[in-house]
Amino acid sequence: MEFKLEAHRIVSISLGKIYNSRVQRGGIKLHKNLLVSLVLRSARQVYLSDPCPGLYLAGPTGIPTVPPPQQPGEPVAGPPSGWGEPPPPSARAALPEPEPQPQRPSVCHTPGAGSSEPVAAVAGAGDALRGGEADSAAAAWGRVERPRAVASGGGSDTCPEGPRAVRRPCGCPPAREEQPAEDGSPAPPAPCPRKRGAAGVGGGRAGCPAAPGSTPLKKPRRNSEEQPSTGEEDTDEEMETGNVANLISIFGSSFSGLLRKSPAVGREGEEAEESGPEAAEPGQICCDKPVLRDMSPWSTAIVAF
Amino acid sequence: MPSHRMPSEADVISTVEFNHTGELLATGDKGGRVVIFQREPESKNTPHSQGEYDVYSTFQSHEPEFDYLKSLEIEEKINKIKWLPQQNAAHSLLSTNDKTIKLWKITERDKRPEGYNLKDEEGKLKDLSTVTSLQVPVLKPMDLMVEVSPRRIFANGHTYHINSISVNSDCETYMSADDLRINLWHLAITDRSFNIVDIKPANMEDLTEVITASEFHPHHCNLFVYSSSKGSLRLCDMRAAALCDKHSKLFEEPEDPSNRSFFSEIISSVSDVKFSHSGRYMLTRDYLTVKVWDLNMEARPIETYQVHDYLRSKLCSLYESDCIFDKFECAWNGSDSVIMTGAYNNFFRMFDRNTKRDVTLEASRESSKPRAVLKPRRVCVGGKRRRDDISVDSLDFTKKILHTAWHPAENIIAIAATNNLYIFQDKVNSDMH
Repeated sequence: MEFKLEAHRIVSISLGKIYNSRVQRGGIKLHKNLLVSLVLRSARQVYLSDPCPGLYLAGPTGIPTVPPPQQPGEPVAGPPSGWGEPPPPSARAALPEPEPQPQRPSVCHTPGAGSSEPVAAVAGAGDALRGGEADSAAAAWGRVERPRAVASGGGSDTCPEGPRAVRRPCGCPPAREEQPAEDGSPAPPAPCPRKRGAAGVGGGRAGCPAAPGSTPLKKPRRNSEEQPSTGEEDTDEEMETGNVANLISIFGSSFSGLLRKSPAVGREGEEAEESGPEAAEPGQICCDKPVLRDMSPWSTAIVAF
Repeated sequence: MPSHRMPSEADVISTVEFNHTGELLATGDKGGRVVIFQREPESKNTPHSQGEYDVYSTFQSHEPEFDYLKSLEIEEKINKIKWLPQQNAAHSLLSTNDKTIKLWKITERDKRPEGYNLKDEEGKLKDLSTVTSLQVPVLKPMDLMVEVSPRRIFANGHTYHINSISVNSDCETYMSADDLRINLWHLAITDRSFNIVDIKPANMEDLTEVITASEFHPHHCNLFVYSSSKGSLRLCDMRAAALCDKHSKLFEEPEDPSNRSFFSEIISSVSDVKFSHSGRYMLTRDYLTVKVWDLNMEARPIETYQVHDYLRSKLCSLYESDCIFDKFECAWNGSDSVIMTGAYNNFFRMFDRNTKRDVTLEASRESSKPRAVLKPRRVCVGGKRRRDDISVDSLDFTKKILHTAWHPAENIIAIAATNNLYIFQDKVNSDMH
């Protein structure tokens, strides 16, 4: 469990760095951002490959989800669901690679240098994200699904990888296994990645095809900024997530499409729209964002901005 | 070099380089300035100041620029300075920021002509009716004036940030490297360069590594090396092909799986590479170690030295504070027997390759009083703690020594500690052994 917490923390730190790099003097440093994206990918892999269903049901404190709407654990589950969820594969073809900037006229003939490079790649990176990560994310989902099936069968430990002691606190005590079965909600959060408050109120909710039962789980997420003050046991984790949520809220509603898990058509349409202007943005052309395919559309939003 | 102004970001030294004789020492800073120090000749009259470095010239090399097409500000920070071999009375150096390389010529003027026929001493035209005879102007001594002028500006060669420049042993060409490409220039031609390495993938999403440093071989004008963010070195031969994407030799050490962490990739990124003076070895610096490589062995370095291994357990907080991205340089001494690199808390480390002994020294005002002897320092990592030890947790990570240089022939080192330059001399062992 500590791995997941640390991974989550590292992810939020990394995203903060990528965000800050936009405003750094001298343009985006390709080397540093490449390294940050590698860390981001490692942390995300650790996060996803740790198949602890308790994470989706309850926070590190092990409180199961008979969900009171203020479930501190639930918001933690939100982000990984969003990141883990592969967008529909059909979306891959839909996003055009943004056109590189026109070649800058230059007196300096540098064969092969290609003087003006596009920052581009935002939507294109979204492409790669979809295609590339679908398999691993799907695998991660497979692992998550299994425990609940076991639990509904009754009797055995919810946690498939019992010996891992770190998982104990994450809410896999045998006695609780009924709860997950009842709840049935861990999967639904997946299709509906957390909706940030800034994501556009109407759009977020409306686009979510989740089962009705999951809707109450979304409320804590949306209120994550206010939650730390309630003094829930998971305060530290809450602050971390809140910090990341703030990043998103800064971007405003223009990214509602990216943050909403909508049916394939709607999403790709939306994203193509968003990414078009972003791709054309002249800033930060100094380098491209190399490893966007490893980040979710949610994270892609940050980079695009 | 004490800075009498309030220390500001612009005063932070960003590069240090001795010239080929060691007589001159150039520093560049974040404000785009270059300061050149000259070693005072030893004289019987002033025995105490023998061989000390004084300011010789200061000039503004680069200014901040704005790329209007890309809406990017281009920093004026001097990334690297490299001296050209001296070919006449003038000295020349190359200085570069992120995008533009400039060739500067440094000349001395210590005489001026006097006794013109048509002009008076102030340069005003004389009343011709007062001129009764002709005279030949003569050169009279004057106070030394050091004049610096930009002779060439090599612009528009790089899309990405330039991280290194290196002058070829042929004294005619030099190369400049950015994150993805290396260009070869002729010193006399500014309007074109040849691209000799290009690792930009067709699809930027496939990017996995960038070029971090590069250098020409000191003797073989066809060979150069470049290091990558993945920790590998590639030796390239320009005779083999026009585009040297295919390396002649690849130097890479397999990763130790027991050390794997989130940050393994970051700490294996090579921040500096230097050929030995002999040309037989290469020195590389990554976040925690310096390594010596033999050009004849690609599989692994022949020597690895731990610079500050006690930081291995603190990588997460160093990542948070961005310290893990610090790019430390490394240096050989003139005889290639000792290597040096910087660390935190204004510490710098030296490793003797023959005796396998190492020492940690501190660059501070206390230690730099004239004729003070540098006291070895120690960082304690738990266990017994001696009186003057510093604990890992009390290290000051804002005091980092990224740039160091060693005199080409003598035991004189230049250490840049943020905005201060320290020059240490080993008077006892002034000659190389």
